Amino acid sequence: MDNIDEILNHAAAAPHPVNPALLDSIARSIGADLRPVRPVPPRWLLTGGLVLVAAAIATAGAAVLGFHGVQNLTAIDRALLFPLLALLLWLAAAACVGEITPGSRRFVSPRFLLVGGILSLLAVFAILFRDYQTINFLPQGIACLTAGLLIAVPTALGVWFVLRRGFAVNPVSAGTVAGTLAGLAGVAMLELHCPNFEVFHVMLWHTGVVLVSAAAGAWLGILRNAALRQ
Amino acid sequence: MYADRDLETLMARYQQGDFSAATALIQRLSPQLHRFFVIQFASRGDADDLLQETWLRIHQARHTYRAGEPVLPWFYAIARHIRVDHYRKASRSKSKEDRLDELPELPAAPEKEAGSTADLEALLATLPQSQREVVEMLKIVGMSLEEVARATSSSVGSVKQKAHRAYEKLRDRMGRPGSLARSAKAPRNG
Repeated sequence: MDNIDEILNHAAAAPHPVNPALLDSIARSIGADLRPVRPVPPRWLLTGGLVLVAAAIATAGAAVLGFHGVQNLTAIDRALLFPLLALLLWLAAAACVGEITPGSRRFVSPRFLLVGGILSLLAVFAILFRDYQTINFLPQGIACLTAGLLIAVPTALGVWFVLRRGFAVNPVSAGTVAGTLAGLAGVAMLELHCPNFEVFHVMLWHTGVVLVSAAAGAWLGILRNAALRQ
Repeated sequence: MYADRDLETLMARYQQGDFSAATALIQRLSPQLHRFFVIQFASRGDADDLLQETWLRIHQARHTYRAGEPVLPWFYAIARHIRVDHYRKASRSKSKEDRLDELPELPAAPEKEAGSTADLEALLATLPQSQREVVEMLKIVGMSLEEVARATSSSVGSVKQKAHRAYEKLRDRMGRPGSLARSAKAPRNG
Protein backbone atom coordinates (compact mmCIF):
# COMPACT_ATOMS: atom_id res chain seq x y z
CA MET A 1 0.00 0.00 0.00
CA ASP A 2 1.10 3.62 0.28
CA ASN A 3 1.71 6.13 3.01
CA ILE A 4 -2.01 6.88 3.44
CA ASP A 5 -2.25 3.62 5.36
CA GLU A 6 0.80 4.59 7.34
CA ILE A 7 -0.79 7.91 8.32
CA LEU A 8 -4.11 6.31 9.19
CA ASN A 9 -2.47 3.53 11.20
CA HIS A 10 -0.38 6.10 13.03
CA ALA A 11 -3.49 8.13 13.87
CA ALA A 12 -5.37 4.99 14.91
CA ALA A 13 -2.63 4.02 17.33
CA ALA A 14 -2.55 7.46 18.95
CA PRO A 15 -4.69 7.73 22.09
CA HIS A 16 -7.80 9.89 22.05
CA PRO A 17 -8.51 10.71 25.67
CA VAL A 18 -12.02 11.71 26.74
CA ASN A 19 -12.73 13.84 29.79
CA PRO A 20 -13.04 11.33 32.71
CA ALA A 21 -15.72 13.54 34.29
CA LEU A 22 -17.83 13.13 31.15
CA LEU A 23 -17.46 9.34 31.28
CA ASP A 24 -18.38 9.33 34.97
CA SER A 25 -21.44 11.43 34.24
CA ILE A 26 -22.52 9.02 31.46
CA ALA A 27 -21.97 6.02 33.75
CA ARG A 28 -23.97 7.65 36.55
CA SER A 29 -26.93 8.51 34.30
CA ILE A 30 -26.99 4.97 32.87
CA GLY A 31 -26.57 3.42 36.33
CA ALA A 32 -29.57 5.35 37.63
CA ASP A 33 -31.84 3.46 35.22
CA LEU A 34 -30.08 0.11 34.91
CA ARG A 35 -32.29 -2.95 35.05
CA PRO A 36 -32.19 -6.26 33.19
CA VAL A 37 -33.75 -6.24 29.74
CA ARG A 38 -34.96 -9.10 27.57
CA PRO A 39 -33.24 -9.09 24.14
CA VAL A 40 -35.52 -8.90 21.11
CA PRO A 41 -36.58 -12.30 19.69
CA PRO A 42 -34.49 -13.97 16.97
CA ARG A 43 -34.69 -12.56 13.46
CA TRP A 44 -36.40 -15.63 11.96
CA LEU A 45 -39.15 -15.54 14.57
CA LEU A 46 -39.94 -11.87 13.96
CA THR A 47 -39.83 -12.35 10.18
CA GLY A 48 -42.13 -15.36 10.40
CA GLY A 49 -44.46 -13.43 12.70
CA LEU A 50 -44.72 -10.56 10.23
CA VAL A 51 -45.43 -12.86 7.28
CA LEU A 52 -48.08 -14.62 9.36
CA VAL A 53 -49.74 -11.31 10.33
CA ALA A 54 -49.76 -10.05 6.72
CA ALA A 55 -51.06 -13.36 5.31
CA ALA A 56 -53.72 -13.70 8.02
CA ILE A 57 -55.07 -10.17 7.49
CA ALA A 58 -55.07 -10.55 3.68
CA THR A 59 -56.89 -13.89 3.89
CA ALA A 60 -59.38 -12.58 6.45
CA GLY A 61 -60.09 -9.56 4.21
CA ALA A 62 -60.64 -11.82 1.21
CA ALA A 63 -62.85 -14.12 3.28
CA VAL A 64 -65.09 -11.19 4.15
CA LEU A 65 -65.25 -9.87 0.57
CA GLY A 66 -65.28 -13.30 -1.13
CA PHE A 67 -62.59 -15.39 -2.85
CA HIS A 68 -63.84 -14.50 -6.34
CA GLY A 69 -60.41 -13.76 -7.78
CA VAL A 70 -58.57 -16.91 -6.81
CA GLN A 71 -61.54 -19.07 -7.85
CA ASN A 72 -61.33 -17.71 -11.40
CA LEU A 73 -57.56 -18.03 -11.74
CA THR A 74 -56.08 -21.05 -13.50
CA ALA A 75 -53.69 -23.36 -11.68
CA ILE A 76 -50.77 -21.86 -13.62
CA ASP A 77 -51.86 -18.33 -12.69
CA ARG A 78 -51.99 -19.33 -9.03
CA ALA A 79 -48.65 -21.12 -9.22
CA LEU A 80 -46.98 -18.01 -10.60
CA LEU A 81 -48.74 -15.26 -8.66
CA PHE A 82 -48.97 -16.51 -5.09
CA PRO A 83 -45.39 -17.82 -4.70
CA LEU A 84 -44.18 -14.43 -5.97
CA LEU A 85 -46.36 -12.65 -3.42
CA ALA A 86 -45.13 -15.00 -0.68
CA LEU A 87 -41.51 -14.32 -1.66
CA LEU A 88 -42.03 -10.56 -1.69
CA LEU A 89 -43.83 -10.70 1.68
CA TRP A 90 -40.93 -12.66 3.15
CA LEU A 91 -38.32 -10.26 1.75
CA ALA A 92 -40.26 -7.24 3.01
CA ALA A 93 -40.71 -8.84 6.44
CA ALA A 94 -36.98 -9.66 6.67
CA ALA A 95 -36.14 -6.10 5.62
CA CYS A 96 -38.53 -4.74 8.28
CA VAL A 97 -36.80 -6.76 10.98
CA GLY A 98 -33.41 -5.51 9.75
CA GLU A 99 -34.60 -1.90 9.88
CA ILE A 100 -35.46 -2.08 13.58
CA THR A 101 -32.20 -3.80 14.55
CA PRO A 102 -29.18 -1.45 14.55
CA GLY A 103 -26.13 -2.85 12.78
CA SER A 104 -27.93 -5.72 11.11
CA ARG A 105 -27.01 -7.08 7.69
CA ARG A 106 -29.07 -5.53 4.92
CA PHE A 107 -30.01 -8.06 2.26
CA VAL A 108 -32.12 -5.69 0.22
CA SER A 109 -32.44 -1.91 0.30
CA PRO A 110 -35.90 -0.37 0.86
CA ARG A 111 -35.80 1.31 -2.55
CA PHE A 112 -34.77 -1.87 -4.33
CA LEU A 113 -37.46 -3.82 -2.49
CA LEU A 114 -40.15 -1.31 -3.48
CA VAL A 115 -39.07 -0.87 -7.09
CA GLY A 116 -38.15 -4.52 -7.60
CA GLY A 117 -41.38 -5.68 -5.95
CA ILE A 118 -43.55 -3.44 -8.11
CA LEU A 119 -41.69 -4.33 -11.32
CA SER A 120 -41.90 -8.07 -10.65
CA LEU A 121 -45.64 -7.77 -9.93
CA LEU A 122 -46.14 -5.76 -13.12
CA ALA A 123 -44.20 -8.35 -15.11
CA VAL A 124 -46.26 -11.25 -13.74
CA PHE A 125 -49.54 -9.39 -14.29
CA ALA A 126 -48.51 -8.58 -17.86
CA ILE A 127 -47.73 -12.26 -18.49
CA LEU A 128 -50.88 -13.65 -16.85
CA PHE A 129 -53.65 -11.32 -17.92
CA ARG A 130 -54.66 -10.77 -21.55
CA ASP A 131 -57.85 -8.71 -21.24
CA TYR A 132 -56.95 -5.25 -22.51
CA GLN A 133 -60.40 -3.66 -21.98
CA THR A 134 -60.89 -0.79 -19.56
CA ILE A 135 -64.55 -1.05 -18.58
CA ASN A 136 -65.45 1.09 -15.54
CA PHE A 137 -61.74 1.72 -15.19
CA LEU A 138 -61.91 4.52 -12.61
CA PRO A 139 -64.78 3.41 -10.30
CA GLN A 140 -63.58 -0.20 -10.15
CA GLY A 141 -60.00 0.94 -9.77
CA ILE A 142 -60.75 3.26 -6.88
CA ALA A 143 -62.80 0.53 -5.19
CA CYS A 144 -59.84 -1.90 -5.43
CA LEU A 145 -57.31 0.71 -4.31
CA THR A 146 -59.48 1.56 -1.29
CA ALA A 147 -60.03 -2.09 -0.41
CA GLY A 148 -56.29 -2.79 -0.69
CA LEU A 149 -55.41 0.15 1.50
CA LEU A 150 -58.05 -0.89 4.05
CA ILE A 151 -56.11 -4.14 4.38
CA ALA A 152 -52.76 -2.30 4.46
CA VAL A 153 -53.77 -0.23 7.49
CA PRO A 154 -54.43 -3.12 9.93
CA THR A 155 -51.37 -4.93 8.53
CA ALA A 156 -49.24 -1.88 9.31
CA LEU A 157 -50.66 -1.82 12.83
CA GLY A 158 -49.84 -5.53 13.17
CA VAL A 159 -46.29 -4.86 11.94
CA TRP A 160 -45.92 -2.10 14.50
CA PHE A 161 -47.18 -4.41 17.24
CA VAL A 162 -44.73 -7.20 16.36
CA LEU A 163 -41.78 -4.81 16.03
CA ARG A 164 -42.71 -2.35 18.78
CA ARG A 165 -39.59 -3.14 20.85
CA GLY A 166 -37.24 -2.41 17.97
CA PHE A 167 -35.14 0.69 17.39
CA ALA A 168 -35.22 2.18 13.90
CA VAL A 169 -32.00 4.08 13.20
CA ASN A 170 -33.62 5.40 10.03
CA PRO A 171 -37.37 5.97 10.54
CA VAL A 172 -37.96 6.95 6.89
CA SER A 173 -36.39 3.77 5.60
CA ALA A 174 -38.20 1.68 8.23
CA GLY A 175 -41.51 3.36 7.36
CA THR A 176 -41.00 2.71 3.65
CA VAL A 177 -40.31 -0.99 4.21
CA ALA A 178 -43.21 -1.41 6.64
CA GLY A 179 -45.48 0.39 4.14
CA THR A 180 -44.28 -1.91 1.36
CA LEU A 181 -45.05 -4.98 3.47
CA ALA A 182 -48.51 -3.66 4.37
CA GLY A 183 -49.17 -2.78 0.72
CA LEU A 184 -48.17 -6.29 -0.37
CA ALA A 185 -50.74 -7.68 2.06
CA GLY A 186 -53.29 -5.43 0.34
CA VAL A 187 -52.27 -6.79 -3.09
CA ALA A 188 -52.48 -10.36 -1.80
CA MET A 189 -56.05 -9.73 -0.61
CA LEU A 190 -56.96 -8.20 -3.99
CA GLU A 191 -55.57 -11.19 -5.89
CA LEU A 192 -57.66 -13.49 -3.73
CA HIS A 193 -60.78 -11.35 -4.02
CA CYS A 194 -60.89 -9.25 -7.22
CA PRO A 195 -62.47 -11.00 -10.23
CA ASN A 196 -61.53 -8.15 -12.59
CA PHE A 197 -58.69 -9.51 -14.75
CA GLU A 198 -58.35 -6.52 -17.07
CA VAL A 199 -54.61 -6.08 -17.35
CA PHE A 200 -54.54 -2.28 -16.94
CA HIS A 201 -56.84 -2.47 -13.92
CA VAL A 202 -54.63 -5.00 -12.19
CA MET A 203 -51.36 -3.32 -13.15
CA LEU A 204 -52.37 0.17 -12.07
CA TRP A 205 -54.82 -0.17 -9.20
CA HIS A 206 -53.61 -3.37 -7.54
CA THR A 207 -49.93 -2.48 -7.76
CA GLY A 208 -50.78 1.10 -6.77
CA VAL A 209 -51.68 -0.16 -3.30
CA VAL A 210 -47.98 -0.98 -2.66
CA LEU A 211 -46.84 2.40 -3.91
CA VAL A 212 -49.38 4.41 -1.89
CA SER A 213 -48.79 2.33 1.22
CA ALA A 214 -44.98 2.66 0.97
CA ALA A 215 -45.32 6.43 0.41
CA ALA A 216 -47.55 6.68 3.49
CA GLY A 217 -44.97 4.71 5.50
CA ALA A 218 -42.16 6.99 4.33
CA TRP A 219 -44.23 10.05 5.21
CA LEU A 220 -44.86 8.70 8.73
CA GLY A 221 -41.10 8.14 9.01
CA ILE A 222 -40.47 11.75 8.02
CA LEU A 223 -42.96 12.91 10.67
CA ARG A 224 -41.26 10.69 13.24
CA ASN A 225 -37.86 12.16 12.33
CA ALA A 226 -39.22 15.68 12.67
CA ALA A 227 -40.78 14.83 16.05
CA LEU A 228 -37.49 13.37 17.29
CA ARG A 229 -35.65 16.52 16.25
CA GLN A 230 -37.99 18.83 18.16
CA MET B 1 -9.52 -2.52 18.66
CA TYR B 2 -10.99 -4.97 21.16
CA ALA B 3 -11.75 -8.63 20.91
CA ASP B 4 -15.33 -8.96 19.76
CA ARG B 5 -15.94 -11.87 22.15
CA ASP B 6 -15.01 -9.67 25.07
CA LEU B 7 -17.37 -6.93 23.95
CA GLU B 8 -20.14 -9.47 23.36
CA THR B 9 -19.76 -10.75 26.91
CA LEU B 10 -19.83 -7.23 28.31
CA MET B 11 -22.90 -6.41 26.23
CA ALA B 12 -24.72 -9.52 27.47
CA ARG B 13 -23.90 -8.58 31.07
CA TYR B 14 -25.01 -5.00 30.43
CA GLN B 15 -28.36 -6.35 29.19
CA GLN B 16 -28.62 -8.33 32.44
CA GLY B 17 -28.25 -5.09 34.41
CA ASP B 18 -24.58 -5.42 35.40
CA PHE B 19 -23.30 -1.91 36.17
CA SER B 20 -19.63 -2.88 36.03
CA ALA B 21 -20.14 -4.20 32.48
CA ALA B 22 -21.87 -0.95 31.48
CA THR B 23 -18.99 1.07 32.93
CA ALA B 24 -16.42 -1.13 31.18
CA LEU B 25 -18.19 -0.62 27.84
CA ILE B 26 -18.33 3.13 28.40
CA GLN B 27 -14.62 3.26 29.26
CA ARG B 28 -13.61 1.09 26.31
CA LEU B 29 -15.78 2.42 23.52
CA SER B 30 -16.18 6.11 24.39
CA PRO B 31 -12.76 7.26 23.11
CA GLN B 32 -13.30 5.78 19.65
CA LEU B 33 -16.91 6.98 19.48
CA HIS B 34 -15.75 10.45 20.57
CA ARG B 35 -13.08 10.43 17.87
CA PHE B 36 -15.73 9.32 15.36
CA PHE B 37 -17.70 12.49 16.14
CA VAL B 38 -14.65 14.77 16.17
CA ILE B 39 -13.50 13.51 12.77
CA GLN B 40 -17.00 13.84 11.37
CA PHE B 41 -16.84 17.65 11.61
CA ALA B 42 -17.92 18.09 15.25
CA SER B 43 -16.04 20.35 17.69
CA ARG B 44 -14.83 18.80 20.94
CA GLY B 45 -17.79 20.34 22.79
CA ASP B 46 -20.26 19.00 20.23
CA ALA B 47 -18.56 15.61 20.34
CA ASP B 48 -19.01 15.52 24.14
CA ASP B 49 -22.74 16.22 23.73
CA LEU B 50 -23.07 13.68 20.92
CA LEU B 51 -21.26 11.05 22.98
CA GLN B 52 -23.65 11.57 25.88
CA GLU B 53 -26.65 11.41 23.57
CA THR B 54 -25.30 8.27 21.94
CA TRP B 55 -24.94 6.47 25.26
CA LEU B 56 -28.44 7.54 26.25
CA ARG B 57 -29.78 6.07 22.99
CA ILE B 58 -27.62 2.95 23.39
CA HIS B 59 -29.08 2.51 26.86
CA GLN B 60 -32.65 2.86 25.56
CA ALA B 61 -32.02 0.44 22.70
CA ARG B 62 -29.78 -2.09 24.50
CA HIS B 63 -32.39 -4.85 24.23
CA THR B 64 -32.14 -4.71 20.40
CA TYR B 65 -28.65 -6.23 20.50
CA ARG B 66 -28.75 -9.99 19.90
CA ALA B 67 -26.07 -12.22 21.37
CA GLY B 68 -23.74 -13.56 18.71
CA GLU B 69 -24.11 -10.56 16.40
CA PRO B 70 -21.09 -8.27 15.92
CA VAL B 71 -21.06 -5.56 18.61
CA LEU B 72 -19.25 -2.67 16.92
CA PRO B 73 -21.68 -2.28 13.98
CA TRP B 74 -24.52 -2.11 16.51
CA PHE B 75 -22.80 0.72 18.42
CA TYR B 76 -21.72 2.58 15.29
CA ALA B 77 -25.15 2.33 13.64
CA ILE B 78 -26.59 4.19 16.62
CA ALA B 79 -23.70 6.68 16.78
CA ARG B 80 -24.09 7.35 13.07
CA HIS B 81 -27.81 7.94 13.52
CA ILE B 82 -27.08 10.50 16.28
CA ARG B 83 -24.48 12.19 14.08
CA VAL B 84 -26.82 12.42 11.07
CA ASP B 85 -29.57 13.79 13.31
CA HIS B 86 -27.19 16.37 14.77
CA TYR B 87 -26.07 17.39 11.29
CA ARG B 88 -29.67 17.89 10.15
CA LYS B 89 -30.54 19.89 13.27
CA ALA B 90 -27.45 22.05 12.79
CA SER B 91 -28.21 22.60 9.08
CA ARG B 92 -31.80 23.56 9.86
CA SER B 93 -30.90 26.04 12.60
CA LYS B 94 -28.15 27.46 10.40
CA SER B 95 -30.59 27.96 7.52
CA LYS B 96 -32.99 29.72 9.93
CA GLU B 97 -30.19 31.99 11.12
CA ASP B 98 -29.20 32.67 7.52
CA ARG B 99 -32.74 33.76 6.75
CA LEU B 100 -32.76 36.10 9.77
CA ASP B 101 -29.41 37.72 9.05
CA GLU B 102 -29.18 39.73 5.91
CA LEU B 103 -25.43 39.34 5.84
CA PRO B 104 -24.69 35.97 7.35
CA GLU B 105 -21.45 35.64 9.23
CA LEU B 106 -19.05 32.91 8.25
CA PRO B 107 -19.35 29.93 10.57
CA ALA B 108 -16.72 29.88 13.28
CA ALA B 109 -13.92 27.44 12.67
CA PRO B 110 -14.32 24.37 14.86
CA GLU B 111 -11.96 24.00 17.76
CA LYS B 112 -9.02 22.06 16.48
CA GLU B 113 -7.71 19.11 18.35
CA ALA B 114 -4.07 19.04 19.18
CA GLY B 115 -2.20 16.07 17.83
CA SER B 116 -3.32 13.10 15.84
CA THR B 117 -7.07 13.75 15.64
CA ALA B 118 -6.47 17.18 14.11
CA ASP B 119 -4.03 15.66 11.61
CA LEU B 120 -6.48 12.97 10.73
CA GLU B 121 -9.28 15.49 10.47
CA ALA B 122 -7.17 17.55 8.06
CA LEU B 123 -6.37 14.46 6.01
CA LEU B 124 -9.99 13.35 5.77
CA ALA B 125 -11.51 16.82 5.43
CA THR B 126 -11.41 16.69 1.65
CA LEU B 127 -13.59 13.58 1.53
CA PRO B 128 -17.38 13.53 1.34
CA GLN B 129 -19.10 12.49 4.56
CA SER B 130 -19.98 8.98 3.38
CA GLN B 131 -16.41 8.20 2.29
CA ARG B 132 -14.92 9.77 5.41
CA GLU B 133 -16.96 7.56 7.75
CA VAL B 134 -16.10 4.44 5.76
CA VAL B 135 -12.36 5.18 5.90
CA GLU B 136 -12.59 5.95 9.59
CA MET B 137 -14.47 2.78 10.46
CA LEU B 138 -12.18 0.61 8.33
CA LYS B 139 -8.83 2.12 9.17
CA ILE B 140 -9.15 3.83 12.55
CA VAL B 141 -11.71 1.66 14.32
CA GLY B 142 -10.46 -1.47 12.56
CA MET B 143 -13.83 -2.84 11.51
CA SER B 144 -14.13 -5.35 8.67
CA LEU B 145 -15.89 -4.56 5.38
CA GLU B 146 -18.85 -6.64 6.53
CA GLU B 147 -19.05 -4.76 9.83
CA VAL B 148 -18.88 -1.35 8.12
CA ALA B 149 -21.61 -2.45 5.74
CA ARG B 150 -23.78 -3.39 8.72
CA ALA B 151 -23.08 -0.12 10.55
CA THR B 152 -23.86 2.00 7.50
CA SER B 153 -26.86 -0.07 6.30
CA SER B 154 -25.23 -0.68 2.95
CA SER B 155 -23.70 -3.53 1.00
CA VAL B 156 -20.10 -4.73 1.19
CA GLY B 157 -19.69 -3.75 -2.46
CA SER B 158 -20.79 -0.21 -1.73
CA VAL B 159 -18.35 0.04 1.19
CA LYS B 160 -15.49 -1.24 -1.01
CA GLN B 161 -16.38 1.30 -3.68
CA LYS B 162 -16.48 4.19 -1.19
CA ALA B 163 -13.15 3.16 0.34
CA HIS B 164 -11.58 2.86 -3.11
CA ARG B 165 -12.81 6.31 -4.16
CA ALA B 166 -11.69 7.81 -0.86
CA TYR B 167 -8.19 6.38 -1.33
CA GLU B 168 -8.04 7.74 -4.87
CA LYS B 169 -8.96 11.20 -3.61
CA LEU B 170 -6.47 11.04 -0.74
CA ARG B 171 -3.68 9.89 -3.08
CA ASP B 172 -4.51 12.69 -5.45
CA ARG B 173 -4.54 15.19 -2.59
CA MET B 174 -1.26 13.95 -1.14
CA GLY B 175 0.41 13.98 -4.52
CA ARG B 176 -0.04 17.73 -4.85
CA PRO B 177 2.61 20.23 -3.73
CA GLY B 178 2.05 21.34 -0.12
CA SER B 179 0.17 18.13 0.53
CA LEU B 180 -1.30 17.02 3.80
CA ALA B 181 1.24 14.27 4.21
CA ARG B 182 3.75 16.46 6.01
CA SER B 183 1.24 17.93 8.46
CA ALA B 184 -0.37 14.57 9.08
CA LYS B 185 3.00 13.00 9.88
CA ALA B 186 4.16 15.90 12.05
CA PRO B 187 5.21 15.10 15.64
CA ARG B 188 2.26 14.90 18.03
CA ASN B 189 1.67 17.57 20.64
CA GLY B 190 -0.20 15.49 23.15
